Amino acid sequence: MTKIGVFLCNCFGEIGQVIDLESIRKRLESDPAVDFVTVRESLCLPGDAAEAHARIRERGIARVLLGACSPYGRMEIVRLGLAKEGVDVRTVRAVDLREGCAWVHGKDPRGANRKAANQIDMELAFLRNTQDSKDVAIAVRREALVIGAGPSGLSAACGLARMGFPVHLIDRGTAPGGTLNRVTKSYPTEEPGPQKIAALVDETGRNPLIRFYGKTNVASVKGYAGDFKVSLAGPEGNTSLRVGAVVLATGARLLFPQGLYGYGKLKGVITQMEMERQFATGKPACRSAVFIQCAGARNAERPYCSTICCPLSLKNAMRIVDEVPGAKAAILHRDIMTPGSVLEAYYRRALHKGVRFIRFDAERPPEVRGDGQVSAVEVFDAISGKTRTIETDLLVLSTPLVADPESAALARMLEIPVDRHGFIAEVYPVHPVETRNDGVFICGTARWPVSSDQAMAQGEAAAVKAASFLGRQTVSALTMSRVPGTKLGHATANAEACTGCGNCVAVCPYHACRLQRTGQRSVSRVIKVRCKACGSCASVCPNGAMQIPEQNYRVTGEMIRRAFREVR
Amino acid sequence: MADHKKTVLVVGGGVAGISAALDLAAGGHRVHLVERGHDLGGQVARLDKFYPTDHCAFCPLWTEIRRCKEDESITVHTLSRVETLEPREGKHQALVVESAPVVEPSLCINCGRCETACPKGVAKPIWEHAYPPVYLIDRDRCGDCRACADVCPTKAIAFDREQRKIELDVDEVIWAAGFDEVSLAPMKEYGWGTHPDILTSLEFEAWKAEAGENRGKILRRSDRAVPRSIAFIQCAGARDLRLLPHCSAVCCMHALKQAQWVKRRTPEVDCVILYTDLRTVGRDYYEYALRDFNGNGVRLVRGRPSMIYPLPGGGIAVRYEDTPTGKREIRKFDMVVLNGNLQSALPLRPVPGAGPELTGEGFVTAASVSCGFVMEPADVTESAIQASSAALRSILGTKG
Repeated sequence: MTKIGVFLCNCFGEIGQVIDLESIRKRLESDPAVDFVTVRESLCLPGDAAEAHARIRERGIARVLLGACSPYGRMEIVRLGLAKEGVDVRTVRAVDLREGCAWVHGKDPRGANRKAANQIDMELAFLRNTQDSKDVAIAVRREALVIGAGPSGLSAACGLARMGFPVHLIDRGTAPGGTLNRVTKSYPTEEPGPQKIAALVDETGRNPLIRFYGKTNVASVKGYAGDFKVSLAGPEGNTSLRVGAVVLATGARLLFPQGLYGYGKLKGVITQMEMERQFATGKPACRSAVFIQCAGARNAERPYCSTICCPLSLKNAMRIVDEVPGAKAAILHRDIMTPGSVLEAYYRRALHKGVRFIRFDAERPPEVRGDGQVSAVEVFDAISGKTRTIETDLLVLSTPLVADPESAALARMLEIPVDRHGFIAEVYPVHPVETRNDGVFICGTARWPVSSDQAMAQGEAAAVKAASFLGRQTVSALTMSRVPGTKLGHATANAEACTGCGNCVAVCPYHACRLQRTGQRSVSRVIKVRCKACGSCASVCPNGAMQIPEQNYRVTGEMIRRAFREVR
Repeated sequence: MADHKKTVLVVGGGVAGISAALDLAAGGHRVHLVERGHDLGGQVARLDKFYPTDHCAFCPLWTEIRRCKEDESITVHTLSRVETLEPREGKHQALVVESAPVVEPSLCINCGRCETACPKGVAKPIWEHAYPPVYLIDRDRCGDCRACADVCPTKAIAFDREQRKIELDVDEVIWAAGFDEVSLAPMKEYGWGTHPDILTSLEFEAWKAEAGENRGKILRRSDRAVPRSIAFIQCAGARDLRLLPHCSAVCCMHALKQAQWVKRRTPEVDCVILYTDLRTVGRDYYEYALRDFNGNGVRLVRGRPSMIYPLPGGGIAVRYEDTPTGKREIRKFDMVVLNGNLQSALPLRPVPGAGPELTGEGFVTAASVSCGFVMEPADVTESAIQASSAALRSILGTKG
């Protein structure tokens, strides 16, 4: 039988004044599963954990029940103390006797004592019936795959390689660099695009730890964090890799504005990338350039701000003013999006250079005039309330970045979610480059529209996150939790009870459940490394085949049975 | 390079500093995390809500704070500041001064007996979401009677603890000191300080907090009555060459979050946001604003106020030009929330002779490794990205 040790904290009377700890002690001591009950003045003060640990060791106790305070009080300090002494905190259960019983129910001591007794009984039921998940250890493949060799992918690959990890860097183009290769000046430093990534591109060729695969796509991905089996399709056929981590840096595309503001019909209506090309091959021959912001963005179809288009227009408008003699530039916008200090200063610079800014309302977009060639733009100036006509021979449409369908296909392969715009979703805003599939990291515009500088910072972030995973030789499934040592367990499938209905597969948010054919039937199998012990599968399984051993149905049932019982 | 384990000094224990510290520790490096406050978490830990999820701001941070404390590679120095920092043989020698708390957090069990015993009412619980919860004694208003020390069951209260000076040899330094509110008192037109119902957005955040003293009720600060109307003023002190030329980047979303929250709690309150440009560049941010453009209840008015002043008969007048109509308006509001006056913390609390090189606007230049608001106005997501990137640059010893 499991031996349970119980520590009850008096908290210098904070608990003991309301909760009758002595009668709890007497009652628990008559329970055959309980080896000892110790009432202490405190459990969280220096030295307490060592004394508790000594008692646990002396009695050879497998499981511990603490009756003390709330986890938002000092219970975490108690658990941390025990963990530092070497106690496996997964064997420790805690009852909140202070905040949850003595303090809130201080005016009703009878009720407080009953609640305390019920909660203690529930946790004892847990400890009596809980079982241990069998842990699985996997060897981590000490190398990474980076998909996409634009600014974010390059900085991820170089970051990993500089930390000593071998990297496979693939791109569907022939050479690394991505869109930045076609940008003659990048904002806000005005450095030529290729120069910005020159050091990274150079390192890709020089660093023996980086292997670049041009014209290569991912054909398939199998496996999980620590051991992904990847098949690459390249010019020389398929290559198989086994990598510990994957960084997705596939970028995005600029919206092609067919039909918008006369694009495709009128000469002189171009996109930002076409303007870049004009600057690359000389200077645009124009007397005036008008930029229209949010062309195809912040509308019903694409209700988001693409971040980069305002600074892009600032840059190109200033170039027109600076480099084309006598030419003027105007930016028609809905809001100028230049958050921060650097971009706001850039905006001020454009104002000082004489770039004209006219705000329009989404309901009254500018109208383009011209016959074969753009001649003027008519815009209702939302600030002055007047309609203005700007003669121009060049109209630049600032179109948003849109998600690349290839990224969505990769996301499906890697079993990570995309948002409703098709960009790849992070696990939580506080963890912006991590995904729901451990070992898969995201960066750059595949994740969300960002500047090349931000994309490179994200690449570095993804490298650091991937490295901290790759740096471990083995990982055990039970450590695959954001807070080490706190994963409850993982689901197990009872193959005999499973009827292969697939409910668990449909409901698992982590793609940890799979149906596997064995002979005539399919049964569920759990990838333990991926399981986060959320219990979704267990709750939808009609046959009780899916269980988390720690919190199995007997545990839950026994706990519920004790939840509201009258205790003598 | 790869196998060399470094010791890194991280200055600032907010989102940026915590994230950088955890990434460094995960890579096997040692970290000294220096935080000036009583606990980790910085400004974000004190926020009531978090955009764009509208979740509790503290919850996601709580895990990270816990991990910092749990990790044996991270030494957390709270109530601390870097006094000097000197280059030495390619490294840095730092002198960190740890102030002695009157209430020792490792001993305080949060029982509150000091609060009951204190005749001057200066023993108070720390702000609601601090972890672990402890009591603080305001020494400036304390009568020195020591009644609190006498009743403290764990001897957590002592008035004679001495500050500690710690010398650290570190390989790298990451600046992550975050932001502070800069006083709006010099900008008379905002009326800050003239009336209790003119608040900065951080003051309002604490005032309306679900865990705060009003338990989430939306009340006027002057008389605790439910306000009929609240004006949220954007770019107060920011994008303004007289005070802060930069855009503080977080305020548009912050105002939207607060206004939407007010409407959710108390739908009858009329909420108006007066903005210059509505900057919503992150994931889901524009759709967050769209709720209001589509008639969710918060009114968005493009315009910058020229004068805000308390009215003799009660209420606060806001004079502004409604730019779409071109009309000069004067409207009476019951409360005014000022948003924007956030500045990099380093110019406000410099490290004498030891700080990093700053731009004219007070942000850390590329000559040093930094992350979060001291590098460039940033929200939680941006700060977390910059923090990981700063961690990499410290590991590799590259700048910029």
